[in-house]
Amino acid sequence: MFLALKEMRRAKVRFTLLMAAVGLLVFLILFQQSLQNGLITAFVGAVRNQSAPVLVYSVDGRRVIQGSVIGPELEAQVRDAVAGGRVGRIGQGTFTVTADDALSEATVLGYEEEGLGSPTTLVTGRLPQGPGEAVASAADEAAGFGVGDVVRIEPGGLEVRVVGLADDIQLNVAPTLFVAYETYLDAVRSRNPDAGTPPPNVLAVEPAPGISAGDTAALINAASDDLDALTRADAAAKTPGVAQVQQSFRVIFLLYGLVVPLVTGLFFLIVTFQKAPSLTLLRAIGAPAGRLVAALLVQVLLVVGGGLAIGIGLYAPLSVQRIGGITLRFETAAVIGWSIALLVLGTASSVVSARRVVAIDPAAALGGTGMDR
Amino acid sequence: MTVTDPHAPALRLEGVRKVYPMADGEVVALERADLTVDRGEIVALVGPSGSGKTTLCSIAGGILRASGGTIVVGGDDISGYSPKQLTAFRRRAVGFVFQTVNLVPFLTARENLLVVDEIGARTGAPARARADQLLEELGLADRAKNLPSQLSGGQRQRVAIGRALMNDPTLVLFDEPTSALDSKLGRQVMELIRSEMTARGIAAIVVTHDERITAFADRTVHISDGVLDA
Ligand SMILES: Nc1ncnc2c1ncn2[C@@H]1O[C@H](COP(=O)(O)OP(=O)(O)OP(=O)(O)O)[C@@H](O)[C@H]1O
Ligand SMILES: [Mg+2]
Repeated sequence: MFLALKEMRRAKVRFTLLMAAVGLLVFLILFQQSLQNGLITAFVGAVRNQSAPVLVYSVDGRRVIQGSVIGPELEAQVRDAVAGGRVGRIGQGTFTVTADDALSEATVLGYEEEGLGSPTTLVTGRLPQGPGEAVASAADEAAGFGVGDVVRIEPGGLEVRVVGLADDIQLNVAPTLFVAYETYLDAVRSRNPDAGTPPPNVLAVEPAPGISAGDTAALINAASDDLDALTRADAAAKTPGVAQVQQSFRVIFLLYGLVVPLVTGLFFLIVTFQKAPSLTLLRAIGAPAGRLVAALLVQVLLVVGGGLAIGIGLYAPLSVQRIGGITLRFETAAVIGWSIALLVLGTASSVVSARRVVAIDPAAALGGTGMDR
Repeated sequence: MTVTDPHAPALRLEGVRKVYPMADGEVVALERADLTVDRGEIVALVGPSGSGKTTLCSIAGGILRASGGTIVVGGDDISGYSPKQLTAFRRRAVGFVFQTVNLVPFLTARENLLVVDEIGARTGAPARARADQLLEELGLADRAKNLPSQLSGGQRQRVAIGRALMNDPTLVLFDEPTSALDSKLGRQVMELIRSEMTARGIAAIVVTHDERITAFADRTVHISDGVLDA
């Protein structure tokens, strides 16, 4: 500790700069982690946080709710396949609405029954109990989607009153309203009086007792080539675009995962080269190589640890902001995961320096003929 | 740890050889050196450049392995020691003042003494007391908090002497301790070495080119082309 700390104290600027650089990288990593999760949640939160364990799409729909149509024949096949379970309709559309006196786009999701497509957890209020009521995405509360606000579906002018709010129930990064199936049909008809009664987009399924969601999905898929049943988690993960977003971020994170240890590794290698005469002297007067390596490791851990503290310190206040319609969260799991990963990677990156330290020949301290350094 | 025999001489070299293998043959740096240094004795080692002075000191201090012969320091036969054992031996039994780099630049004068305790037993308070006492004796009490870059050449050399004495060694090896100093300062440093060694009964080998320095030694040994005169 003595050597490690004294050196850091005497070379405050360079060690502080490195710590700040690591801190900035940590901040960027964590911030992007929040951004990724926020983005995906805004994209498919409605799928992830609805109550049906299994969703059934038509194959034509390519796993997009709005693109899927379940005609009467397919619906009958599903009901047969899940005998003993429950099946409910879900309809979804994107509507132009007036909220807070302004026109905007909103997603309306109608579900037939509680437990079959309703939001799982409310932050306030209650689920819709009658026509013209809705649970809105909490992220859009300030934009005219708060409890008690009335949202008008244009151009028909159908009024929907917000009676509850739920976190993370947006679909396609738009304000989202969960309504009773009848209200959804009313909305469609108010926009287009000739619409009649459109078929549901997807079916929500609760498996029969004793059968898992995965098995239920498999049963349905076996029943017809035109049906595409997915568990809730799969439906969210396999929505087109989600995998691509995750893939892009994975590349970014991989780069960060390389840059951080590269920066610390190079820094400590340079420092080790620069202080080689001191290290040689210490070896010559009897310092075990292990003590010098330990001092190096202490410095690496302090720098990475300090960088993590700085990074998390910057990230914490910014992680609870909203950017546009995207809600950021303080991602505890990411903070812990990256902290461990960076400490391990940082330590690993100092292996080259540690090897230099171990390889130092104390005889090089002798100076004089043939040994001048 | 070996129990050091208090009556054994501080250093006994018998038939010590050092050969550096080179691409084109080999360099014989030391040829069958025999030398005994008694407890508390100060020996001046004088010889031209390249004659093997540093080589001899390094072997006596356990920094270099000899190619052959016996090296006994304070009763410990270190001839067959492994690198690890030699590291512990250097920490325990010898003090070094090197020809070139002697101080750690990012440690203060006092810390350059304390580092000896830090790389070893970590006794803490006794080491601090000893460092303060040595700095006092060396006239550096008011420079204790200075970094090497804030010290004069003579002051730096005195810090190095203090560092060499921190572990209460059997033998201190001074490799040209005055070569970077003018003759007046050189004499002062030699007087200091003389009085510190005598007061503690520590043996020393002082390497020098300068015949005038030998006046401070009990005995002068000459070396040329790796051969000691007896
Ligand atoms: N690492 C080495 N490899 C090869 N030859 C070496 C090495 N170190 C020293 N020598 C040779 O060994 C001989 C003795 O060197 P040494 O350093 O002991 O001389 P010295 O008496 O201390 O000289 P100076 O007064 O210049 O310091 C020299 O010929 C030198 O070139
Ligand atoms: Mg020399």
